[in-house]
Amino acid sequence: MIRLGRRADAKDLDEFQRLRSKRLLILSALPFILAATALLAIFIGSLGPIGPGVETETGERIRMSFGDAFDALIHGHGDWPRDYHGTLWDVRIPRVLLAGLVGASLACAGTAMQAVFRNPMADPYIVGVSSGASLGAVAAGLAGLSVMAVIGPIVTPLLAFTIALMTVFLVYFLGTSKGKVYVDTLLLSGVAVAIFLDATRSFLIYYDRQEFHRVIFWLLGSFALASWTSMAVVGIAVGIGAFTVFLFSRDLNALLLGEETAHNLGTDPEFLKTLMLIVAAVMTAAAVAFTGVIGFVGLVIPHMARLVVGADHRILMPSATLSGAVFLIWADALARTVISPSELPVGIITAMCGGPFFVYLLRRHRIRGGA
Amino acid sequence: MKLDIQGLSFAFGTKPVLKEISFDVPHGEFLGLMGPNGSGKTTLLRCIMNYLVPGMGSISIDEKPLDSFSPVALARTFAVVPQSSATDFTFSSYDIVMMGRIPHMASRLSGTSKADTVAVRKAMERTNTWQFAGRAFAELSGGERQRVIIARAIAQQPKALLLDEPTVYLDISGQIEIMDLLKKLNRDDGITVVAVLHDINLAARYCDRIALLSDGRLETIGLPADVLTPEMIQSVYGVDVAVRRDPFTGSIYVMPRSPVAAVHRHGTRVHILCGGGTGGPIMKALHDQGYSVTAGVVNVLDSDYENAKDMHIPVVAEAPFAPISQENHEENLRLIDESVAVVVSPFPVGPGNLLNLEAAKRALSLGKKVLLVRPESSANIDFVNGKGDAYIKDLISSGADAVRSTDELVSMLSGKAG
Repeated sequence: MIRLGRRADAKDLDEFQRLRSKRLLILSALPFILAATALLAIFIGSLGPIGPGVETETGERIRMSFGDAFDALIHGHGDWPRDYHGTLWDVRIPRVLLAGLVGASLACAGTAMQAVFRNPMADPYIVGVSSGASLGAVAAGLAGLSVMAVIGPIVTPLLAFTIALMTVFLVYFLGTSKGKVYVDTLLLSGVAVAIFLDATRSFLIYYDRQEFHRVIFWLLGSFALASWTSMAVVGIAVGIGAFTVFLFSRDLNALLLGEETAHNLGTDPEFLKTLMLIVAAVMTAAAVAFTGVIGFVGLVIPHMARLVVGADHRILMPSATLSGAVFLIWADALARTVISPSELPVGIITAMCGGPFFVYLLRRHRIRGGA
Repeated sequence: MKLDIQGLSFAFGTKPVLKEISFDVPHGEFLGLMGPNGSGKTTLLRCIMNYLVPGMGSISIDEKPLDSFSPVALARTFAVVPQSSATDFTFSSYDIVMMGRIPHMASRLSGTSKADTVAVRKAMERTNTWQFAGRAFAELSGGERQRVIIARAIAQQPKALLLDEPTVYLDISGQIEIMDLLKKLNRDDGITVVAVLHDINLAARYCDRIALLSDGRLETIGLPADVLTPEMIQSVYGVDVAVRRDPFTGSIYVMPRSPVAAVHRHGTRVHILCGGGTGGPIMKALHDQGYSVTAGVVNVLDSDYENAKDMHIPVVAEAPFAPISQENHEENLRLIDESVAVVVSPFPVGPGNLLNLEAAKRALSLGKKVLLVRPESSANIDFVNGKGDAYIKDLISSGADAVRSTDELVSMLSGKAG
């Protein structure tokens, strides 16, 4: 019996339509926010128009104007400050772009993982990517590969990337039985494998204490080693990965209602889970290989985006990806200015923002019974 | 859409779950899948939706084998309502229903089409869920949530609905609401419905046919009245039931009785004077205690007559609405004579059955133990201007004992007559 007298409430519906338009508006604003963020971040620094400025020989603090900075960016210039054009193009721009791409990759991978694990507390490192990558990096250092001429700078990321992917496949293999992916087993396998790899890494560090610094770098993450090469590699991984996740965003929606429902809506849940795991792992491994383990972005950004634009992946996934980029560019800008002229590992900034927010989410989850 | 299942077997590993199941579902039928827990209903449903692939046998839709359908073609044929659809993620109801349009999307990159929005709105209006389109799915009540899930299934525009216990977590109004909705979709839109149901009475009322599964086998399939017999329910569920017809809907309904441990049938004869349905609990209680029970005189169509028949209790029956005839009165007295004790249930006394009280009086004079069941709260049951009450007073003063409940009756009898 359809109860009579409970007609659709026009006010609720209006509100609902407004909410939907608001969400689309937020999504369409995000690319502009990202562009503005990137442009601002490029000019943040001791030499740039945003920053503490530089002390001249006379003890005077002076700062470039935005106009000069733009000129320097585009045309290059001669007298002052020296090498500003070079600094921008060789260091600052690749660094800002890399921060954006890594943020995008972690947020996108986190969104996909949360859908695959049907758990809003999942993050891109859940299947052991970070442990594999940091072990690879430490191993590269120990073997002396990282100081080799020419190929040196690329060997460490390459080894980190390779071992990270191998770890993911091992975890995937452990969590799969007869072609069926069991997400609970997968999650626990990820924990078990990570414990083992972390212990191996600790053993290697103990064996050769000089590796300690490298490990700190991997564990806290930094964009200090950004280059056009690393930017390009991560860019390709993010481009392909994010596009793939976006193509399957409706299927991810369906998966969140259960595998039976996903199957009934024409999706192959096993294929979808496997594809998403691979795509997310490649994106995460590429990011980690060049910048180390930057925590909380992949967990918190998708979560925040979901609070604002809702759970529909067609809007959520691009929103989270763009927000991840914006967030990490700002975090990096903070990391390199807060104790200028030296800099903090960016992972400290993200963890300091992420930790309290995570607690807030947990409490909210407990109280509201939903995320 | 005609569904045809032939020799279907399915096993989880080495454990067989479905064994050689064959039946077909004609277009537009409302079929109920029933059976005890673990009898394979859900597995059968999952085989039909191609979520599980059977080890042997075949399933075909309109003579075409199931595996010749693409996932999308299948998604446009069947819409599934699973047992539970909980999600930790904040989808709005509208988002959920829109998911039903996934099998209809032109390509992965295409947006929401006009046809999609129209189908979603229509589905939500039909299920009376449009008013909370914007509300979070997780915040809805169980019944509202189930309606949203059914709206999603309707938005899928399927030829058949497959439902796994659609009413399981709902209260009685929610159950009726959902079943009425399904019946309407079935009748008005010609959507074939195959539903796993646990509630026998709901199934009997709404299903065209019922397939009864037991231990992975198809026990029987047919009209509710042919399938849901006390014998079949006893053999499949191991529960003793009485089957009656609902006076309003004409469909059958089933009343379970508590399973009774085997009692020592000592066979002490007790006769019950009853009528108006007041004798049923007494018959049941005494029967369960191992007494040999007889009853009389009741009219055919009286529920006490049906109660006695259900328990295979010998009963003296009078024609419907007729007063007790001399012949039946004599028969009643004969049964009293064969009994150790006589119980008088609190039946309404009218001109037609006053002879039952007369029989009680005769029992006393024959030296039988006579027990009157007189609940404290009983309403006025005398429709013969105090004649009935006078009889009762007379009985008590002549040595009959009054008890207040069936329990008291049982202990009284076992103390004195058992």
